[in-house]
Amino acid sequence: MATSVAKSRLLDLTRTQCNLFQTTFNPERLRTGNKILRQRLKGPSLAAYYPRKPSTLRDLQDDFNKLDLITYDEDEEYRLEGIQIAKFRGKGAPKKKRVADTTKKGRKRK
Amino acid sequence: MPQFRAKKLDLGGFVNARIIRDHTRRKVYERFEEERQALRYVIRNTTLPQAMRTKAQLELANMHAYTRPTQIQNRCVMGGTARSVFRAFRMGRFQFRMNALAGDLPGVKKASW
Repeated sequence: MATSVAKSRLLDLTRTQCNLFQTTFNPERLRTGNKILRQRLKGPSLAAYYPRKPSTLRDLQDDFNKLDLITYDEDEEYRLEGIQIAKFRGKGAPKKKRVADTTKKGRKRK
Repeated sequence: MPQFRAKKLDLGGFVNARIIRDHTRRKVYERFEEERQALRYVIRNTTLPQAMRTKAQLELANMHAYTRPTQIQNRCVMGGTARSVFRAFRMGRFQFRMNALAGDLPGVKKASW
């Protein structure tokens, strides 16, 4: 029935096929590197391998404080209260020295 | 490498130096993956000029080792070992056994017949 089909006709057929199925028309079979572009990015799944640090109440409070919203941290209040009491009793931490130490002791340490 | 390491530790589970290192590599790879893929595309594309492709080759080869996916190694999430790690459970064989026997892995049962 069919004798011989012209090459240009066959090319047209492939082109239409490529159009229809949304594939690249590449009759010379050139290496265009499209396979790289087709690959999915693996980075996000690889980076999610180790469990991340869960967000804590402290993080939430920090976020709130950034927005000038007041939060209440019981442990922190307790700590500050203890420091106050220690200071009243004269048992607080010594003040930090602002200027460079020029006393004998300081020089010796160097 | 210190230039890539996170300023604050963002890992939640078991942590040791090697896990931090591997985690850093993963994050760095994620950051540079698109750039790497673009260079790889230029290298593989034979329709582009040869000089351009060679330049891309050099550029890819000169990228930092931490941006390379082959540097990433699956480690045990519970103990940090790098050998005999089950991919599906992200655990070394011994940690897997302990967790499975403790019943912490849903669906895993000791075989017996």
